[in-house]
Amino acid sequence: MVIAAGNVFLPRERLDALFDLLHEGGRTIIGPTVRDGMLVLDRLERVEDLPIGWRDEQAPGRYRLVQGATQRAFDVVNGQMSWKQFTFPPKQQVGTMRRDASGSVAFAAVPPDPPRLAFLGVRACELAALGIQDRVLAGGTFVDEDYRARRESALVVAVQCTRAGDACFCASMGTGPEVRGGHDLVMTELDAGFVVSAGSPAGERLLARLPGRIAAPAEEAEAAAEVAAVRAAQGDPVVIEGLRDRLMDQLDSPRWAEVAERCLACANCTMVCPTCFCTSTAITSDLDGHVNVAERQWDSCFNAGFAKVAGGNFRPERSDRYRQWLTHKFATWVDQFGTYGCVGCARCITWCPVGIDVREELAAIAPPAAPPEQMLTRPAAATPGRFEVVTLRASRRETADTTSLFLQPTEPALLAGLPGQFVMVEQPGFPSLPISVSRYGTDELVLTVRAAGPATTALIAEPPGAQIGLRGPLGRQWPVDRALGRNVLIVTGGIGLAPLRPVLDAIVASRDRFGDVLLAYGARTPSDRLFTDELETWPQHGIEVAQIVDRAEPGWEGRVGVVTQLLDRRDFGRRPTVAFVCGPERMMQATVTTLRDRGVAPERLFVSMERHMQCGIGLCGHCQLGPYFVCRDGPVFSVGELGELFGKEGL
Amino acid sequence: MTTQAAGTRDLEYAVGQLTRVEGEGRLHLRVDAGGAVEAQLQIFEAPRYFEQLVVGRTPDEVLDIVARICGICPVAYQMSGVHAFESLAGVEIDPGVRTLRRLLYCGEWIESHALHIFLLHAPDFLGYPSALEMAADHRALVERGLRLKKLGNRVVAIVGGRPIHPVSVRVGGFYRAPTVAAISGIREELRAALPEAVETVALVAGLDTPVADRDTRLVCLRHPDEYPMSDGRIVSSDGIDLAPGDWREAFHEVQVPWSHALQARTADGVPYLLGPTARVVLAADQLHPVARAALDATGVGLEELRRNVFRSIVSRAVELVHAIAEAVDILDAYERPERAWVDAQPRAGVAAWATEAPRGLLFHRYELDEAGIVRAAQIVPPTSQNQAAIERDLEQFAPGVVDLPHAEATHRLEQLIRSYDPCISCATHFLDLTIERDR
Amino acid sequence: MTATTVAAPRVGVVKMASCDGCQLTLLDLEDELLAIGERFELVDFPEATSRRSEGPYDVLLVEGSISTPEQAEQIEALRERSTLLVTIGACATAGGIQAMRNWGNEPEWRAVVYPQPEYIESLAQARPVSDYVKVDAELRGCPIDPGQLLELLTALRLGRRPQLPDEAVCLECKRLGRVCVLVAGGAPCMGPLTVTGCGALCPGFARGCYACFGPRERANVTSLAGWFAADLGRSGPEVDRLFAGFTGWSEPFRERARRAVSRFGTGDADGSVRGEPGTDEEAGA
Repeated sequence: MVIAAGNVFLPRERLDALFDLLHEGGRTIIGPTVRDGMLVLDRLERVEDLPIGWRDEQAPGRYRLVQGATQRAFDVVNGQMSWKQFTFPPKQQVGTMRRDASGSVAFAAVPPDPPRLAFLGVRACELAALGIQDRVLAGGTFVDEDYRARRESALVVAVQCTRAGDACFCASMGTGPEVRGGHDLVMTELDAGFVVSAGSPAGERLLARLPGRIAAPAEEAEAAAEVAAVRAAQGDPVVIEGLRDRLMDQLDSPRWAEVAERCLACANCTMVCPTCFCTSTAITSDLDGHVNVAERQWDSCFNAGFAKVAGGNFRPERSDRYRQWLTHKFATWVDQFGTYGCVGCARCITWCPVGIDVREELAAIAPPAAPPEQMLTRPAAATPGRFEVVTLRASRRETADTTSLFLQPTEPALLAGLPGQFVMVEQPGFPSLPISVSRYGTDELVLTVRAAGPATTALIAEPPGAQIGLRGPLGRQWPVDRALGRNVLIVTGGIGLAPLRPVLDAIVASRDRFGDVLLAYGARTPSDRLFTDELETWPQHGIEVAQIVDRAEPGWEGRVGVVTQLLDRRDFGRRPTVAFVCGPERMMQATVTTLRDRGVAPERLFVSMERHMQCGIGLCGHCQLGPYFVCRDGPVFSVGELGELFGKEGL
Repeated sequence: MTTQAAGTRDLEYAVGQLTRVEGEGRLHLRVDAGGAVEAQLQIFEAPRYFEQLVVGRTPDEVLDIVARICGICPVAYQMSGVHAFESLAGVEIDPGVRTLRRLLYCGEWIESHALHIFLLHAPDFLGYPSALEMAADHRALVERGLRLKKLGNRVVAIVGGRPIHPVSVRVGGFYRAPTVAAISGIREELRAALPEAVETVALVAGLDTPVADRDTRLVCLRHPDEYPMSDGRIVSSDGIDLAPGDWREAFHEVQVPWSHALQARTADGVPYLLGPTARVVLAADQLHPVARAALDATGVGLEELRRNVFRSIVSRAVELVHAIAEAVDILDAYERPERAWVDAQPRAGVAAWATEAPRGLLFHRYELDEAGIVRAAQIVPPTSQNQAAIERDLEQFAPGVVDLPHAEATHRLEQLIRSYDPCISCATHFLDLTIERDR
Repeated sequence: MTATTVAAPRVGVVKMASCDGCQLTLLDLEDELLAIGERFELVDFPEATSRRSEGPYDVLLVEGSISTPEQAEQIEALRERSTLLVTIGACATAGGIQAMRNWGNEPEWRAVVYPQPEYIESLAQARPVSDYVKVDAELRGCPIDPGQLLELLTALRLGRRPQLPDEAVCLECKRLGRVCVLVAGGAPCMGPLTVTGCGALCPGFARGCYACFGPRERANVTSLAGWFAADLGRSGPEVDRLFAGFTGWSEPFRERARRAVSRFGTGDADGSVRGEPGTDEEAGA
C-alpha cells in the first residue's frame, strides 16, 4: 500500500490541473475513453474524455459497458486491450532490406523513436504486467531497444482499483489491487476527489505542483478501505502455492482434450493478455525485390503456423496449443523469467469468445495437492473447550419444529463469517452442536435450528437474555465469488434453506454482479417452509423463486412433487451456471444428476455434505469422507472435488 | 469464321467470346440471302440461381448475397435491395444516411464508369487490344483512368469497407457510418480530380466515333430534386411513369433459347435503352452544373447522344464528372449521422424497388413472410433489359460490316456491344416468379 | 542473378461461374497495374484485353466455381496447359455462394428460375476447382484481398513462398485495436473460425464476420455454434445460416450449411436432406 501520510487530495473538479501538467512538453495523454459505445485506451484531450459515470460488467465471454450509479471517472476496471499496445505495438516496422539491380544489398534497422506519452489510469495488475514485460523484453542478455525506449519515455499515472472486476484475480496472483511500484503517480478515487501520491522523482515533481491539499487521515482511510474491499470481493480463486509443479505434473491430464473441445484456438486470449510477447515478422517487397520492408506483428502460440517446421507441426492439436499457453503462463514462465506470466487481469476470461475460464481450468487441471485453506476468517475460539459467550436477543418460530435464534456476539470475528460456514454451539451440559449461520447481521448472528433431539430442543427453548457459547465461524463457505457474472441456481429442501440464506443476502446486496438467479425450494408441506416472508420478497430483488411441496395443504395453489421437477424444461447449459445445492443427500444426488444432464459442469456444482461433526476443526476424526474432514475441508464441496465419493453409500 | 449452313443459303456469322465486358458471352449473326441480319447475343455465363439462393434468408443476409451477383456494381444490388426492404418495412432512414448512401453510389459510378471509359472502351477508339497495350503510347491517359477509378474505389471503401462487396449496408441504414476524420482525405483528392474528369468529357467527345442513327426509347428513374440514382419514379422518353416498385406493370421478362439471361421487354415489345445515356438525356436539367457545362462545351447534343449508340462514352464521362462533383458536395457538408441505423421490424408482403446501377435501372422484388424471411425473389438487372436493344442495333449495324475482313468486323461489332457496357455476370440470374414456394 | 532478369511469366486470367470481382481485383491494383503489365505477360484476360491465347501459361489465375459440363471439361484442358494453377476467391476455392444450391434439386431450381429450363445447361452442383484438378495455390476471400494478390504476384516473381496468413480474423481485429463485436456487442461473429486476410473488415463496421475467407484448419464449429445458440440466444436456424454463406461448402462448415439450406424449402429431392432434424425451430415458417 503506497498511501502514506503527506499524500495530496486533489478535488474532483481540479482533475483538469493534472491533465495540464501531463500535457506539458507536448506529451500526449493516453487513457480510457468511450468510442462508439466501446471502451478503448486512446488519446485524451480533456477530463470529459474519461469514461465518467460508466462501469464495466464482465463475465466469461461477455463484456458490457453500462451507466453506473456514481460520477466517478475510473469505475471501468479495464477494457479489451492493455497498455501493451503502446509499449509493444501490435504492428511495427523493424527494418528495410534493399537489393539494387547489381545485386548489392543494404540493411537498415528502424531506430527507436518513441512518442512522448503519459499513461493515465494504469491499474496495479497492468503495472505488474509492464514489469513482467520489462523482464522479458528488456531484462535479459538481449534487449528490445524500441520497447525500452517507449517504456523510458512514458509517464505512468496509476489508479488503484475501487471496484472489483467480476472476473479479476489480481489478489491471487499477488499483483493488486494495491499499487506497489512502477508508477510515477498513483491515485485512489473517492467520491469527492483523488488521494494522490508519488512513486518516482518525476512523480514527486508533478505532485508538488498539483493544486490540492494534504489528504486528511479520514480520506486516506477511506481510500484504503475501498481498495481493501476490492481484495476481499475477489476471494482467492487461483491457489498459487506450488502451482508450477502441480501444472507440470499434469502434462497428460485428460482435461487438455476436454478444454480443447471448447477452445477455438482463435488466439484472443493471447492478443488481450498484457504479458504475451510472441511475434512474427513478414516481409513486404516491391515487384522487383529491390525494397523489402520487414514488419513485426503480434503472433500467438494458438496459430496453426506457430510451431510449424518444414517436416510438420509440433503442436498440431488445439489441446497441444492450450497446454502450451497455460503451462507457459503458470509454470515455465517462472523458470524463464522468475515470475508468473499472469497478473490476474481476467482479460483472457472475459474476451474468450466461448468463455473459457482460466481460473476453472487451473483448478481442474492442477488442483491444490491438499484441499486449500479455505477458512478466510480467523475463527473465534477455535479450540474445543474455549468459546465466546453470546446473548440471545430474540427467537422467532419459523415452523412447527424450527426456530431462528438472534444472537448478539461481542467478538467481531463471529460476525465476519461467510455464507455456508457454521458455528459450534456450546450449551453447558449438552454436546456441541454444529449449526449453520442463516444470516450475518451488522451486530447479530442468526442461527436457524430444527428440534431434532434433546440438545436442539433445549437450545430453541432458551429465553431472550440467555447466554450460550459459540466457536467459529468454521468450515468452507459457498464460493459466491465463483458465481460472479454467472447464472446462479440455488436448489434446496426444508431446513437446507438456512445455510443458503447468506448466499441470497450476498446476491441481493450486489444483484447486478450476477446473471439470472433461481431459487428452487422444496418442502414436505407448505407450512414446513422457512422464511416464507422472504420467499415473497426475493422476487422483487430479481431472484426467481420456484417452490414445490411433497404434500399440499388447504390453500396451497403451488406445485406438488419433488424439487427436481422444478428444474425440468430449463436449460442450464446456456450461460455458465453455478449451482449451490443443500438438502438430504438423496435429494442432492437427484439434483446433481439432473443438473449434470442439463449441462452444468461438476466443478460449478456445489453441495453441502452432512456428517457427524464434534470438534468442527478436523481433529476428532468423526466426519471423515475419503481424504476430507467435512468440518474443516467442507462442508461445501464441488461435485468435481468429491468425484466418486459423492453419492457412494457406506462412506 | 464463315460457314455454309447445310441445306440453306443463309450465312452464319459468329464471333468468339466477347472481351472487355464483364462475364462471358458471344455474338451469333445469321445473314440471310437478302442481306438481312438476325442477331443473337448469346450469354453462356453459367447460371447461378440467385433468386433461389436468397430464399429462406433475412433481408440483411440478402443484401450481402445479392452483392455477389456482380463484382463491378455490388453497391447497386445492395441499394435496390435495401430500398425495397425499407419501403416494405416503412422505415424512415436518417437524412444523413440517405446522403451517405448517395455518396456510396457515387463511388461506384466513378469506379465503374472510369473502368469502362479508360480500360475497356477507349482501346476500341484508339485501336488497341487492351489498356495495358494502349499505355505504351498513351500512358498519361491510362494513368488518369486508373487514378479516377481508384478514387471511386476509395469512396466505396471509406463508406463500405472495400470496393468489391462492401459490408456496411443494412436495412435501416449502415452498420457504422464513417467518421469525419475518415472522409477528410478523399474530399480534397476528389476536388483535385474534377478538372481531369471534365477534360475527359472533351477528350471522349473528340474521339473518332462511328456513326449510327436510330430512334430509341429511353428509360430511367426521375426524382423531382436530384439526378436519378436511388429514388424517384420510373419514366420513359415516351410517357411511362411508375412508382419504383411497380416495374412489372410496364415490363416483363422473356426467355430466348440462345441465352442464359432472360430478356426484359416493355409490354408493347419495343426494346428500350437504360444507362448513362438514358439518364443524361432524360435528366439533363438535373446534372451537376459542372457536368452540364462539360457536356455543353463538347457541342454534342442530347439528341445525338440518344440516336448514336457509339456516343455512350460521352454520357458515361459526363456522369463521371457528375458523380465526382456530387461526391465533393456531399463530403463538404458531411456530418456523421447521429444514428447509423434505425430498427426495422419484419413485415410480410412484397418489397420492390428500382435504383440506377451504373449501367441503368436495376429492379428487385421480394416476397417476405410474417417472420421477415424471403420466400421468393425477382432481380432484373440492366443488361438483361438492354439485351433486346443491343440485338436490334446489331441487326441494323451488321449489314454494313459483315463483309469486312473477319478481324475488322469483329472489332466493329464488339465496339457496338461495348457501347452498352454490358455486364454479363449480372445478366445471368433471373427468376420469373410464378411458383409459390409454400411449405 | 537478380530477380529482374527472370523472363516475364505468361499469365492467364480466366473465369468459371462467378461475379468477376476477383479478377477485377487485379484491375483494382491501380498503383501497380502498369508495372505488373511490364513484368508479367497477360496473355489471356478476356475481361481486360481482346488479345486471346490458348496457353501455355506459366501461371493461370482461375476465378469461379465449376458449374456446367462445359466448365468441367474446360478446367481439365486449362490445367494441362498451365505450369501453376492458382484459384482466386471463394467461388474457385470453396464453391462460392452458388454452392448453396448443392443440396437443392438443381433441375427444380432451374425450372423455377427459367420459364424454359431445357435451354439451360448446368451441373447439379457448383464445386471448387480443386474437386476437378490439382491446385497449386489459392487466394481466399469473397472477394480476394488486393494486397494478397499483389503478394502472390510478387512472390511468384521473386521465387518465394507467398506469405498468406492461416490465422483467425481475431488476431488482425485485435492488432487493429477493435473492440470485439461478439464479446462486447453480442453479435454472432465468425471471426474466430475464419481465416484472416480481409483486415478484419466487418468487425471494423461493428458487425460480425460472415466468413467470406472461409474456415481455418480444424475450425471448432461445434463450440462456437453452441455458444451462439446458448450464450447469445440465437435460434438453431439462424446459427446454421451463418455457416451457409460464401464458403459454406467448405469443411467443416458444410454440415451446418446443409441443415440451413434444407430448411429453405427447396431441397428435399436429394435424399440426404429429407427428414432433416431441427425443422421444429424453423425461423421462417
